[in-house]
Amino acid sequence: MSGRALEVLIVEDEMLLAIELEHLIEEVGCHPLGCAMSSEEAVALAQRLHPDLALVDVHLSDGPTGVDVARKISQDCGGVALFMTANVKRLPEDFAGACGVIGKPYSEHGVKTALSYLAHCLREGQAPGPTPVGLTLAPAYANLWGLDQNLGQTA
Amino acid sequence: MDDYSESRRAGDRLAAGHGIDDPFAAAIRATRMAMIVTDASQADNPIIFANDAFLKLTGYERDEIIGRNCRMLQGPETSRTAIETLSRAVAAGEDAKVELLNYRKDGTTFWNALYISPVRNDAGEIVYFFGSQLDVTDKKTAEAKVLEHRDGLEQVVEDRTRELTDALEQKTALLHEVDHRVKNNLQLISSLLLLQTRRVPDPALKASLKGMLGRVNAIATVHRRLFQSEDVERFDVSAFIRDMVADLMGSAGRDDIEMQLNLERVDIPAAKAAPFALVVNELLTNALKHGFPEGRGGRIFVGVSRLNGDFRIEITDNGVGMDKQASGFGLTIVQLLCQQLKAKCETTDAEPGTRVLVLLPVNGAH
Repeated sequence: MSGRALEVLIVEDEMLLAIELEHLIEEVGCHPLGCAMSSEEAVALAQRLHPDLALVDVHLSDGPTGVDVARKISQDCGGVALFMTANVKRLPEDFAGACGVIGKPYSEHGVKTALSYLAHCLREGQAPGPTPVGLTLAPAYANLWGLDQNLGQTA
Repeated sequence: MDDYSESRRAGDRLAAGHGIDDPFAAAIRATRMAMIVTDASQADNPIIFANDAFLKLTGYERDEIIGRNCRMLQGPETSRTAIETLSRAVAAGEDAKVELLNYRKDGTTFWNALYISPVRNDAGEIVYFFGSQLDVTDKKTAEAKVLEHRDGLEQVVEDRTRELTDALEQKTALLHEVDHRVKNNLQLISSLLLLQTRRVPDPALKASLKGMLGRVNAIATVHRRLFQSEDVERFDVSAFIRDMVADLMGSAGRDDIEMQLNLERVDIPAAKAAPFALVVNELLTNALKHGFPEGRGGRIFVGVSRLNGDFRIEITDNGVGMDKQASGFGLTIVQLLCQQLKAKCETTDAEPGTRVLVLLPVNGAH
């Protein structure tokens, strides 16, 4: 991690999922910054802590506000958002500025692989290879990280 | 000299040429078809002859209409377009055929299929117009009813289509909602198992929990795949196996085991996806865990193809052989689910290693 571990904010209203995500984040050598359960909490934490990456569920304790959270984090907080949702098809086409999505239900290995992959992308500005199973990149980020979109997107 | 006497004289002149024994004149007088003759040489083309049928149709007496223009039959509801068509034909000296609403003497209306035609003399000048009137009220009423009925039907079809579209939208929304909940609940179950696996110190118990986690993950992989295709009824076996293998191999972290895939595109009904996924998960996990103890590398082959009426799924490893494969619960799961899927499962010695063949009937049973 070029000296510094990737700092990750969790935006998830299911406590059990959030706690398990913290473990996974630590296991791949990143640093969990904390967990927000509502959009208000998420934006406040992001503004204060400036995470490198925010894992954002679409349905939060105050409703389907995750999309707005992702947009705010990428526009105002200088961080990169990654959706984690069961409703991949309902995301806006531009991914609300987020770099991609991990579809629920994800596996332990799926999340770890995706996090390591994104850590590399964020550090090097370049993808280390095709996107791993379970991760779908937003078209803008696939471009940014030098992926042919047809190869970059998982089916 | 008033119009009436002038027109009556013109009528008399016309009749003078056609005596009582003239069969054509007799026919016109007696026919049930209303007929009139107008005098084109007089101003405003007045009626100079009308037969009895015309009087019966319009309710006028003969002396009430002789000397008057036919427009006396028109009223406020008479179509302007039809009247213009008539005027143009008269001015141009041509035939015309129109259907227009006319008014009787008592103010009641009838639909008149009117035909007019100029009558020329030897010099070719128009001297008369001949007109015939047919009451087509019944036909018009029927047409109007058909139109009304059609509009009604169109409205019914439109309403019904809207209802069905709304119902479909609701159903789709509900499907998405249920799908969403199933996925989130599977995520919750898998996270619960993972959390407990982390806390349990006993290796045997840890292994059991990991086994269950693997099974839940297999079902989760099915649900991630299920609604990705447009056809919600079918399940793409090869795409699923590719996902499963990536996940299992990744979690196992065994770089010394090489995976070989030969996957034909094969679909099974969505209802069979979960039991099928559990069978594949057990067989792959068995091959990984029991075929290759730590330190022994090798190769696992997974093939999916069609064979006669079956889908043939082959999982072959070149590991230590089947004597050591002893996961009782895992094998029970495979046996029970194959029974459920009406599939045949055969395990043979691959010398070295183990070959498992699953034959899944495409339609019905063996």
